[in-house]
Amino acid sequence: MKTFFDKIKQNDFYKLWFKDALPYVTGAVLLSVFQIVTFTTTGNPWGVSGVFANWGAWLFELVGGSVDKWFYFSSPGAQATLNAGFLNDPGTWRNLGIVAGALFAAMMASGFKIKKIKSIRQVIAAALGGILMGYGARIAFGCNIGALFSGIASLSLSGWVFAAFMFVGAIIGSKLLVKYFM
Amino acid sequence: MAKEVELDCMGEACPIPLIKTEKALEELEVGDTLIVLVDHSCAMKNVPEWARKQGHEVELEEVDDGEWEVYIEKMK
Repeated sequence: MKTFFDKIKQNDFYKLWFKDALPYVTGAVLLSVFQIVTFTTTGNPWGVSGVFANWGAWLFELVGGSVDKWFYFSSPGAQATLNAGFLNDPGTWRNLGIVAGALFAAMMASGFKIKKIKSIRQVIAAALGGILMGYGARIAFGCNIGALFSGIASLSLSGWVFAAFMFVGAIIGSKLLVKYFM
Repeated sequence: MAKEVELDCMGEACPIPLIKTEKALEELEVGDTLIVLVDHSCAMKNVPEWARKQGHEVELEEVDDGEWEVYIEKMK
């Protein structure tokens, strides 16, 4: 069995398809193609973080809450998505697919590892960063996928504005990172 | 005598391993080797990439599932 896996590791097709990372250009072309597929099949451009807000609403409904009166979910489109349910949302399946696909890719490259948490500082920074990114993505009506990637692909000026301020945020973030983590 | 120095970046996310590598390499003499331990797949890419661009000798070794050692020999 061991020699079998040793043989696979040397196989050029295994290296090309599973082990080595795709070149940036290949990745960009694939993302564009799947963006078009997403747009034509679901009628909406690709987005990631908006789906999490819906997941939150469904979770809240599961424990007896209601988001009917919330401004964020007040549009007929948002209501229709929520009423259709978790399993009928294309975004749900796309996000689950991203997680499953990423796991599969990491495992195929034998790169999967459960990492140790290094410090409480790391936990706080991760939680704080997650909350800020999630909140920012919602008030901007999109994250770097929905607002930036899909925005620019739709020839929307907002995508470019988003890009400019994302750079500002990245610069501030890098300064904080060096200050607190080095 | 050329030294060998280990830099443990296990559990650190990008870009911390890269910044730590840059700093650690500054302290070393030409001919010394820095061994960077990483378990973040993007560090496994950007640390060797940066070091090669700087003109150093670089070797990447996969030690275990999702764990790598980057050998950097300081060239200048």
